[in-house]
Amino acid sequence: MNQLDILGNIIAVSHSNLEMASRIKAILNIVSQETSFDEAIVYTLDTDKKLTCRYKNDKSSLFHLLSEYRSHIGEGIVGSVAQKRLPESFTFKDLPPRLGCLFYPDLEKFIKKYKAFSFLPLSDDSYLYGVFFICSSSKERLNNSDKAFLSMVAREIGGILRSNQLIISSKKRISELATLSELGKILSSNAIPQDILNNIAFIIAKALNASFVTIRLSHSFLKLDTQRFTYGVIESESEEEVKKLEEEVKKRKEILSLRDLAAEWHNNAVINSLLTAPLTSTGRFLGTVTIGGPQTLSGPAVEENGRYLIETIANYISNGLENTLLTIKLKDMVKELHNAQKRLLEQETFRNLGEMTANIAHEIKNPLVIIGGFTKRLAKKARLDHTENRYIEIIIKEVARLEAILNEVLNYAKESPMVIRESKLTDFIDELVYLFTSDSAWEKIEIIKEYDNNVSLVPCDDQQIKQVLINILMNAHDAMKGDGKITIQTGHKSINDRPFASISISDTGGGIDPTIIDNIFNPFFTTKEGGTGLGLAISNKIILNHGGHIQINNLMGKGATFIVHLPMKNNIIREEII
Amino acid sequence: MKKARLLVVDDEENIRFLFKEELEEEGYSVDVASNGLEALDKIKQAVFDLVILDIKMPGMNGIEALNEIKNTNKNLPVILCSAYGEFKQDFSSWASDGYVVKSADTKELKQTIKDLLSVAKPL
Repeated sequence: MNQLDILGNIIAVSHSNLEMASRIKAILNIVSQETSFDEAIVYTLDTDKKLTCRYKNDKSSLFHLLSEYRSHIGEGIVGSVAQKRLPESFTFKDLPPRLGCLFYPDLEKFIKKYKAFSFLPLSDDSYLYGVFFICSSSKERLNNSDKAFLSMVAREIGGILRSNQLIISSKKRISELATLSELGKILSSNAIPQDILNNIAFIIAKALNASFVTIRLSHSFLKLDTQRFTYGVIESESEEEVKKLEEEVKKRKEILSLRDLAAEWHNNAVINSLLTAPLTSTGRFLGTVTIGGPQTLSGPAVEENGRYLIETIANYISNGLENTLLTIKLKDMVKELHNAQKRLLEQETFRNLGEMTANIAHEIKNPLVIIGGFTKRLAKKARLDHTENRYIEIIIKEVARLEAILNEVLNYAKESPMVIRESKLTDFIDELVYLFTSDSAWEKIEIIKEYDNNVSLVPCDDQQIKQVLINILMNAHDAMKGDGKITIQTGHKSINDRPFASISISDTGGGIDPTIIDNIFNPFFTTKEGGTGLGLAISNKIILNHGGHIQINNLMGKGATFIVHLPMKNNIIREEII
Repeated sequence: MKKARLLVVDDEENIRFLFKEELEEEGYSVDVASNGLEALDKIKQAVFDLVILDIKMPGMNGIEALNEIKNTNKNLPVILCSAYGEFKQDFSSWASDGYVVKSADTKELKQTIKDLLSVAKPL
């Protein structure tokens, strides 16, 4: 068979559907069987930049020896052909003493039967894929036609290796894209941040075949209970290394592996495969993501292959976390808005209810005045005996009671305008406490005062605030059935960046039944016999008109705490008055 | 001494009746009107020493009537008498001379009338 026919066969094999290794082996066999070459061997360039003796013709006797050693680029003839990307041909006599990483004495007994040797690079314009090595025991030396033939064969084998590499890299790319798409789905989901972060760790670990992935957030970010989210197990001896690496990455804001650090520290000990990337968004440091290499492979797989992917993933997570943060902020704001709206609606309801109540009260008042007025006249005019007089007195007394209730209702509906003054809260608390403690009904009640000296003057209508405190204190008294402990505290805090003063009144009356707690500010809601149900409703309205609010901390079985929050600045109040 | 003449203005017939009885018993001469317009008519036709004026009335309400009365008879004392207690604090802004919350107990009303008549300058 002439060389052209052989080439034809080789090209046919090269373009067949066979698997890559089979195609290369078939070509090597054709070369050795149809020509006078005894050995046809292919070295491939691996990801660690070393040449491995990987494929051979069936009858090769050198392969078992050569495949024991891998050579660097530039090392021996194989390495130098790979480096220069130029073919080299030798006879036994001019063969350099070093083939790959092997030197003569070892090789001599094996290769002295061969006469002609040739080494051809397997490469294209940009990449080197390996080296094609061939030798013959029958040919004295290679002529030009042999060289041309071999270079054609080398090009075919190079082509096979090249397309294989392309397939591998596109597979890798597809899997990266799949990973990123999975991450995208997670990051744009409505899940809670904890679940999102745990899922991210899991997806990365799966994509990189890592033994663990751990995401650590900086403390100020997201304000979650935990700052670390891990998939897989961090061996206890690695924990310190992970932390060290995280700290270093936080400092430098760049992707780093433990190997990078070890090189800097001239530490040549065997180290774990660890890679940490910073999570940053618009210049802000959000945290780190750390990948632990597969435990079964001691190679630097994660660092070598993962760096690019990790960088992309880190960007992805950063943006996602930023979005999550914004979403959380947005949710808070929506909630705040909702509350504000609810409060507004409540105020509106109160107003409407107030107007309606006022009308009813007004309509009842006239007939009541008439009944009461004429009953009095009757009492004056008629000569009545003792029993009849008692009846009349009852009517008059009950009318007076009804009138008092109506006055209270009418006052509630349209409260008098506020008179705002800078007032010292502790002054009128003292005044009230003095008032109460001089009453015999309060003798079994212990009142404890704890004043915050930083609360000075608060702008308010002191008469109205007194009314509120009286209502709360009376309720405390009733809840404790006149026996217990009341703690009155003053304080201050910021609510939405506005300074508020607070008066907190705690009792030991067993707390408020949770089923009624939502109703206690409703007008006419009462649990007391003979109560009007207006005390807390009026109190709440007064505090709302001041731009403040009443907070209730209820401890069932123990007691209730009413906290009156009043703004320290009165611009809101001014608006309310107008 | 000549009896002081009072005008009771209220849309509620029995209130008018009650006040008339109570005040006549105190020695006043009492006339009544059921709304602001009727009251203004009566004031044009006759001389009164004091007017007791309800606020919430159909047609012309008490505040409107008060302004009309004060425009023509600046010195005629007027007492606003209403079921609304919340205006008591600032009744003076309406140029009335007194404010009494309507009650079956007429003591406060009688006292206010007495006080105002004792200081009122005779026309």
